[in-house]
Amino acid sequence: MSSTSRNVVALKPTEDLLGPRRAPWRDTVGRILRNRSAVVGLIMISFMLLVAVGADLIATHAPNEPMFGKPGEVAPLPRKPPCVPAFGCTEPMHLMGLDQNARDVFSRVVHGSRLSLFVGITVVAFALSVGVLIGLVAGFFGGWVEDVLMRSMDVLLAFPSLLLAIAIVTILGPGLQNALLAIGIVSVPVYARLTRASVLSAKEMEYVTAGRALGAGPMRLMFVNILPNVLTPLIVQATLGVGTAVIEAAALSFLGLGAQPPDPEWGQMLSEARALVFTAPHLVFFPGIAITFTVLGFNLLGDGLRDALDPRLRGTN
Amino acid sequence: MSRFLIRRLISAIPVLLGILIVTFVLARSIRGDPCRAILGERATQESCDAFNARNGLDQPIPVQFVIYMRNIAQGDFGESLRLGRTVIDLLAERLPVTIELALTALVIAVVVGVPLGMLAAYRHNSFVDVATMTGANIGISMPVFWLGLMLSYLFAVVLKETPFALPPSGRLTAGLNPAPYYMVWGWVAQGETPPALWVFLSRFYVLNALLTGNWELLSSAVRHLILPAITVGTIPLAIIARMTRSSLLEALNQDYIRTARAKGLAERLIVFRHGMRNALLPVVTIIGLNFGFLVAGAVLTETVFGLTGIGRTLFEAITSRDYAVVQGVTLITAMAFVVINLLVDLFYGVLDPRIRLS
Repeated sequence: MSSTSRNVVALKPTEDLLGPRRAPWRDTVGRILRNRSAVVGLIMISFMLLVAVGADLIATHAPNEPMFGKPGEVAPLPRKPPCVPAFGCTEPMHLMGLDQNARDVFSRVVHGSRLSLFVGITVVAFALSVGVLIGLVAGFFGGWVEDVLMRSMDVLLAFPSLLLAIAIVTILGPGLQNALLAIGIVSVPVYARLTRASVLSAKEMEYVTAGRALGAGPMRLMFVNILPNVLTPLIVQATLGVGTAVIEAAALSFLGLGAQPPDPEWGQMLSEARALVFTAPHLVFFPGIAITFTVLGFNLLGDGLRDALDPRLRGTN
Repeated sequence: MSRFLIRRLISAIPVLLGILIVTFVLARSIRGDPCRAILGERATQESCDAFNARNGLDQPIPVQFVIYMRNIAQGDFGESLRLGRTVIDLLAERLPVTIELALTALVIAVVVGVPLGMLAAYRHNSFVDVATMTGANIGISMPVFWLGLMLSYLFAVVLKETPFALPPSGRLTAGLNPAPYYMVWGWVAQGETPPALWVFLSRFYVLNALLTGNWELLSSAVRHLILPAITVGTIPLAIIARMTRSSLLEALNQDYIRTARAKGLAERLIVFRHGMRNALLPVVTIIGLNFGFLVAGAVLTETVFGLTGIGRTLFEAITSRDYAVVQGVTLITAMAFVVINLLVDLFYGVLDPRIRLS
């Protein structure tokens, strides 16, 4: 017993030098939390997530219901600018006013957060899974497989992404689902390229050779040995990608190709209010602020993650 | 250099071929019978057969692809069903609007973005740096079409009675007649048809006004151009400012900068002459890569500001299912994208010999 404790005492100085032991992920989380832009981004996204989850509680009215004046009145109320009693408005409160169909803009913007976050996350999930698969296969096998896959990605990248998305929606027909698919397809090449580039260097690593020596097949090598080691740039890109997807979906909806009325999608709301910008700017102002806020959150988090996780990528993009 | 040039040119061929295939497939994927779409629902089987034979639609798909390639090689992009004009004609008329807009936007982005990025790097971590980068982040996150709408509200309604008021739509003040330079100079008499290239050039209103020395026209054209150009240019501006800053910061960490400091050069000289020269390389690439943003921005901005450029033409073609136009415009833009990237690569090779040799 006493000899054991003496051993422990003998080890102590080294441990003191190293500091207390920490799991590797703690270091990472620490670095992210010390990054100002990552923290600000994280706070903004958490706020949007809370709004989306609690939309039913936060929204003061139903998003698609027109307002009527007194009970029993048949004609809906006219369009109104924002009305906040605290600022001296005597009418019923509408934080962001009423739109041309007498719907409460605040409630629509709040409910729009659900659609936009759903769009952003679905698109990235789709593009990430397809892109990673293509990049892994291309980088791992090389040869003609790589040539065919990567040249096709180059072709997709040759089209300005919004243009290609418009073309795809034209074929599939307008609608939020098709817009999602279109944006997903045009986002694939970015992830494929990124994955392939990382796989090329990762597959030369000794742990892959070791895996191969132990008899691991290509599937195991790709998904168990290589994939976890190339995740960092993908996480960064995926975070930035959510912002891009939100903006592109809004753009498609603005052109009438994405979400359709009366969905409270922010781009769709802008599309409806476009002609009214000179007379009722509040209808245009608030949905745009919501888009900018959400996209800014993801961009800040992505930039912060890049700085915190992968110093080599700092300053690129 | 010539080997680098040839290698780079050859590598663009599969991509160009791929673009042709994709546009071909896109056009063929559209549902509906092209004969009935053009001749009407009640076209007879005989007239449809004749139509298909005339347009090569009765041939197998690979043969159709060859015909399509041959037409494009001959500059035949088909005909707009809605407007009854050839796509090439339409492009010649409307491309200048978009080019004028995109170039002005690019000039704004470079002229404002590069100095802002330099300033932010020069005063690293100062208030100026933080403010510039916050602004750049917001600029990147804003939807282009929303910015356009808000700008037109600000300048056309809020600032209406001030000297800063700007028109929110169109290219010229109503009633102003842009007499083309070839008419003013007497190169073409009334009633004659001028060469297509002359017409194409005269559709750049700013250029045309400069050539004819018509200052009223110039002022009107420029004033109409400012808001859309700022709208299209904001995202590239923000990206360029960020890129300039980070690339200059990186350059300032190099050994030769330390040497310059050690020999006692003025700080301003170090940053702007020694640092900037090397920092500009990635900025050039970024400027080229922004073409995609310019095109996407043009589609949305022209819709907002009521400009009849190719962006708006494309949008209208889509909503009215005018497929030849969709196909032609998509093809032209994708090809322009490839060519611009090629030029940027070549330029990059000229600027940085290390690229050529690797």
